[in-house]
Amino acid sequence: MEHRHLLPDEIDLLVDGEEGFGVAPLVAHVGQCRACRAELEAQQRLVSQLEQLPHHAPAPLFAYGVMSKVRVFEPWHVAALNTVQRLVPQSRPARAAAAVMATSMSVLLTLGTIWMATRINGVVVLAAVALERARSAGLQVVSGFVETTLGQSGISTLPGSGPAGVTVAASLLLVAILGAAFGIRQLAAVSRRRRM
Amino acid sequence: MAPTRYLDLQNLPDADVVRLAQRGREDAFRELVRRYERPIFSLIYRMVRDRETSEDLAQDTFIKVLNHIDRYRPEFRLSSWLFKIANNVAIDHLRKRQIATISIDGSPHAATAAEVEATSFDVRARQESALEEMEARELGGSIERAIADLRPEYRSCIMLRHVEGRSYEEIATILDLPLGTVKTYIHRARHQLREALGDARE
Repeated sequence: MEHRHLLPDEIDLLVDGEEGFGVAPLVAHVGQCRACRAELEAQQRLVSQLEQLPHHAPAPLFAYGVMSKVRVFEPWHVAALNTVQRLVPQSRPARAAAAVMATSMSVLLTLGTIWMATRINGVVVLAAVALERARSAGLQVVSGFVETTLGQSGISTLPGSGPAGVTVAASLLLVAILGAAFGIRQLAAVSRRRRM
Repeated sequence: MAPTRYLDLQNLPDADVVRLAQRGREDAFRELVRRYERPIFSLIYRMVRDRETSEDLAQDTFIKVLNHIDRYRPEFRLSSWLFKIANNVAIDHLRKRQIATISIDGSPHAATAAEVEATSFDVRARQESALEEMEARELGGSIERAIADLRPEYRSCIMLRHVEGRSYEEIATILDLPLGTVKTYIHRARHQLREALGDARE
C-alpha cells in the first residue's frame, strides 16, 4: 500500500469490523502508522460510547395505553376453532369419559337408524300424519291472520275477485308486512342512536 | 406450530408472535409491545427530545402497526417496519414543530414598538418542571447533547446503526435511502460527534 494515511471510508471499514480482500492492507497500515491508529481508536471509542447508550423506558402504563386503542380482531375461522377447542375437556380422565359418551351416543344413533330403516313403512305413515297436522295448523294460522287483516267481508269478497284480485290482495299484504318490518327496524336504529 | 394455549411467548421469534396476533391472540399483541416499547421510545425520544410527545408518538407507532398487523409479510422483519413508522412519525413531528416555531423577535408584520413587544417571545429561563428535570437528566450527558445537535437524518442513521445494531442494508430499507447515502450520513454523523466531543483528528 502506497504511503498515505487511510481515507475516512477505509477507517469506517475497520471500525465496522469488515473482513475481506481489501481489509488486510488497511490493518497492516494501521499497525505501522501511529496517526491512523489513533484515528481508528478514536472512532472505536466513539462507537463504543454510542453502543452503551441506554434504552429509555416509557411510562409504566404505556402498554396499557397502546392496547386500549388497538383493535384485536379474531378471524371467524379462528373463533370457530377456538369455540370447538373450548368444548374439549382439558384433563385426561374427562377426555376419556367424553370419548366414551360420544362413542355410546354414536352407537345408539346408528342402531336407531337401522331400526327405523327396517320399519320404513311405519316411519313414512308417521311422517305423513305429522306433515298433515303441521299443514293444517299452518293454514289455520294464516287464515286467522288474513281474517284479522281483511276482515270477514274481505275474506268473502276475495274468492269472487278471481286470480287477479287474489294476487293484488296478496301483494298488498306482503307490502304491508315488509313495510311494518322496515318501520320497526328504523325505529330500533333511531332508538339506538339516541341511546348513544 | 405447537398448540398455542399456554405458549411461552417470550421465547418465540417475532414472526411466530405476529402469526398469533393475526389470529386474534391479545397476549401476542402485548408481547410485541413489550419487546419493542423501549427501542422505539428511545429512538423517538432522542429524535424529538420531549418525553410526553415521544410517548404519544411511540403509541401512535404501535397503534398503526398493530391495527394493520394483518398486512405484515414474514419475508420482512417486524422490527424494520416498526422503526420505519417510528422514524416517519418523529420526522413528521419535527417538521410540524419547525413550521410552528414562532419568531422570538416579534412578528415581521408588526408596525409599531408596541406590536413588536406584543408578538415577541420571552425566552428568559423559567423553573424546570419535574418532567423537564427528568429529561435533562436522561438526555443531558455530553454525548446525548451532541446527538441532539445532529441533523434528524444523521441522528436516525447513527441511532439505528450503533444503538439498535442494525446493518447498513437494513437502515437503508428502514429509511428508504440508498445504501451509499446511509454510509455517508453515518460517516458525517460520527465526524460531527467527534468534533462536538472534542476528539476529532486535526
